[in-house]
Amino acid sequence: MLKPILLVEDNPKDLELTLLALERSQLANEVIVVRDGADALDCLLRRGAFESWLDGNPAVILLDLKLPKVDGLEVLRTIREHANLRSIPVVMLTSSQEESDLVQAYELGVNAYVVKPVSFPDFVAAISEIGVFWAVVNEPPPGSMRLLRDARQ
Amino acid sequence: MLSDDAIAQLEANCAREPIQIPGAIQPHGFLIAFVERDGVVRHVSGNLSTFLAVTPENLIGQSVAVLRGELGASLKDAAEQLLAAADGPMHAGSINLLGASGLRERFELLLHRRGDLIIAELEPAAAPSQAQFASMYPVVNAFVSRIQAAQTVDAICATAAEEVKRLTGYGRVVTYSFDADGHGYVNAEVIDEGYESFLGLRFPASDIPTQARALYLSNRIRVIHDADYVPSPIVPAHDPDTSLPLDMSLCGLRSVSPVHLQYMRNMGTLASMSVSIIVEGRLWGLISCHHATPKPVSMHTRSACDVLGRMLSLQVEAKEANSDALRRLELRNIMVRMLSAMSDRDRLGIGLTRSYQPILEFARAGGAAVVYGADCDMAGATPAREVVVDIARWLFERGEREVFHTDSFPRIAPEFAASADVASGLLAISISERHPNYVMWFRPEVQRTVNWAGRPEKNADDLGRLSPRTSFTLWEEILRERSLAWQRAEIDAAAEMRTTVLSVVLRRAEELAELALELGRLNKELEAFSYSVSHDLRAPLRHIAGYAELLSEMEGDKLADRSARYLEHINEAAQFAGLLVDGLLTFSQMGRSALTMREVDVDALVQQVIRELAPDTQGRNIEWVIGELPNMYGDGSFLHLALRNLLSNAIKYTRTRQQARIEIGSSATDFEQVMYVKDNGVGFDPRFVGKLFGVFQRLHRMEDFEGTGIGLANVRRIVERHGGRVWAESEEGMSATFYLALPNAETAQALAKDETLPN
Repeated sequence: MLKPILLVEDNPKDLELTLLALERSQLANEVIVVRDGADALDCLLRRGAFESWLDGNPAVILLDLKLPKVDGLEVLRTIREHANLRSIPVVMLTSSQEESDLVQAYELGVNAYVVKPVSFPDFVAAISEIGVFWAVVNEPPPGSMRLLRDARQ
Repeated sequence: MLSDDAIAQLEANCAREPIQIPGAIQPHGFLIAFVERDGVVRHVSGNLSTFLAVTPENLIGQSVAVLRGELGASLKDAAEQLLAAADGPMHAGSINLLGASGLRERFELLLHRRGDLIIAELEPAAAPSQAQFASMYPVVNAFVSRIQAAQTVDAICATAAEEVKRLTGYGRVVTYSFDADGHGYVNAEVIDEGYESFLGLRFPASDIPTQARALYLSNRIRVIHDADYVPSPIVPAHDPDTSLPLDMSLCGLRSVSPVHLQYMRNMGTLASMSVSIIVEGRLWGLISCHHATPKPVSMHTRSACDVLGRMLSLQVEAKEANSDALRRLELRNIMVRMLSAMSDRDRLGIGLTRSYQPILEFARAGGAAVVYGADCDMAGATPAREVVVDIARWLFERGEREVFHTDSFPRIAPEFAASADVASGLLAISISERHPNYVMWFRPEVQRTVNWAGRPEKNADDLGRLSPRTSFTLWEEILRERSLAWQRAEIDAAAEMRTTVLSVVLRRAEELAELALELGRLNKELEAFSYSVSHDLRAPLRHIAGYAELLSEMEGDKLADRSARYLEHINEAAQFAGLLVDGLLTFSQMGRSALTMREVDVDALVQQVIRELAPDTQGRNIEWVIGELPNMYGDGSFLHLALRNLLSNAIKYTRTRQQARIEIGSSATDFEQVMYVKDNGVGFDPRFVGKLFGVFQRLHRMEDFEGTGIGLANVRRIVERHGGRVWAESEEGMSATFYLALPNAETAQALAKDETLPN
């Protein structure tokens, strides 16, 4: 059984390429997309536009590091500080291999840190591996969502 | 011979002898002390009736006015007139009084005031005084001209000795000066035949006790006509009202200590005179006259000698002040040169010691050193570096925070006696309150033979009294572990220099702090720059590569061959740019990241890198020749990166070889470990070896060998961060060898210690 993925990505091209990669691994339908850090938190915490959102947490969050409004590290920090969200696996997806980001992300308790490869085949392979592992192989913590929908709809 | 302690005790006793109240006078004159207010006589000398037609009993308690002189003036009148201004002893001319013979006789009168008493000392006048006064002017005139022409202090003294000899007729006239320890050194002498020469000899300080020196300052001239004299007592010995003895500090006739008279007899001298040389208020030296037989000196002659003594004092003072001023001027000039050299240099020590000559000239030193933090810069003849550093620590622990100087350093600090040859003298200025930072000057040992006029030791007589030494024959002492003494001007200039250096040090510290701040800011900017390069540039490159790939996937069939090739080029270019960005970021990170130094197992590292590079070596025939690889001291992940670069290069440039051979080996010296990677690839043109390790330097065409041109720059940066070096050799078309050398653990730790300044 597939489990939902929350994808937080502001760059439309990256979003398109990521969804394409997930699609090729037959994972696209399980993806909820939000476009910035604030939306990501609202969605996870059922606030604002996401108030009437369904119960349950995503099986995994694919989180871009550089995000408008609230950046990826801040989103990660909030997730780890929140009792209901703490156990959600978070994979940091980033363009940067800057060491300080890596160190900070790990200090905040990231589950994986992936530098998006420049080469498209490598990129597809990386996203696919992540999606398959976290959304298919990994057993998510209790309380994860069973329903798959785009959060923006 | 007595023990040192016993001698010291006796010398102390000697210094306590109340020589200012001997209760007696020398008998060649007589003394009358009367109350200034009413003229009532309180004391006379017991020999009064030898000279005057009056007995002590008749005079004591009477007014001194009864002693009438010529023209009816009394002794009291003369005293009142003459002592109106002056307090000190003065020759008041001569006076006629009724002599013992019943006739009027002429007496020379010496007067001074002591408390409420006037003390009058009288001596029979020797010759008509007018003639002698008349002769004073040419004497003084000639003397002044001669001493003004004299170049040195010794020459001035020699002139004075000659003049005094001529005036007095003493058999031996010497001048001597006192050194810092109070020993007298005979610097000029005029002697008659038969007199032993004392020139160049030293008289120990103990020859003249402290209280005698004090009297030499207030009473500039002392005469003993006959060492065998029988003293004439003061009557009454104590004042009936106050019970105090008569204070004779300023009396010319004052009876001297029996020890001194014995000293004179031991020396073969029965008559003596000494005139004080007083420079800047201290007893600089003496003109000392001796005669083998008793010898009277007239009051006029004494006055003339007194004048000569004063003129000599002034000339010595002027000469010393002059040479001192010249020396100070010279020191100032040298200091200006040193300070300007110092401000031209980044390192304080180098600035001072590179201007080698000035720093040595400055204190006429044999060597100099500047200890500043971990630096120790030296010039000239100094102790070994570690000894110099130890001396700095020694000074610091002693709490020397300003100026320290000694001309016998090994005596103060015997632990440094081994350096006595170059460092018997030490002058040091502290240039930090909190750290053992010093500028030091060293003076070499000057072994000196000091010629004493007899062994400077004393004995006690049978009664346990200190007896003066009996031998004045030459006794040589060799002084060791001593340098020439530091002059006051040099010590003062060093103190002044300390203030200046401190202000320079302070200014430099401020500049450094500013520089560090600026560097920190630049580093932050660079960091932000490389971050955005890595992040913001990689994303569009990825998009270009991604969409190009997608386009060729979707439309590949429909595209013309040429269009398909263009798409492929776009993709390749984007990927190459991505590699470049990664390389750049790594390069900039290497400049910023801290190194974690440890022993790295190079052999294991090589095996790991070879495994990692397996995808590149697939299908290739590569012979790996791996020699013995010891541990190296460095940062593991950086060394990994460097090695990976070198090995992937070796793999890359042997691609055209049927049989590739890659050799990895090592060697070591006392201070570094060398590792090399040698391949039988295409090599490079040795003419361009200098460009090899530069950023974006490539020696091959792009289509022959791919690469960003940043790999070797990375290697060099890594190695240089470790304090090591890289180089390469090649036979073009045959082979290439890349070397990297890192300091071994010991060297690296020593270097790290050197870099950490305590301030």
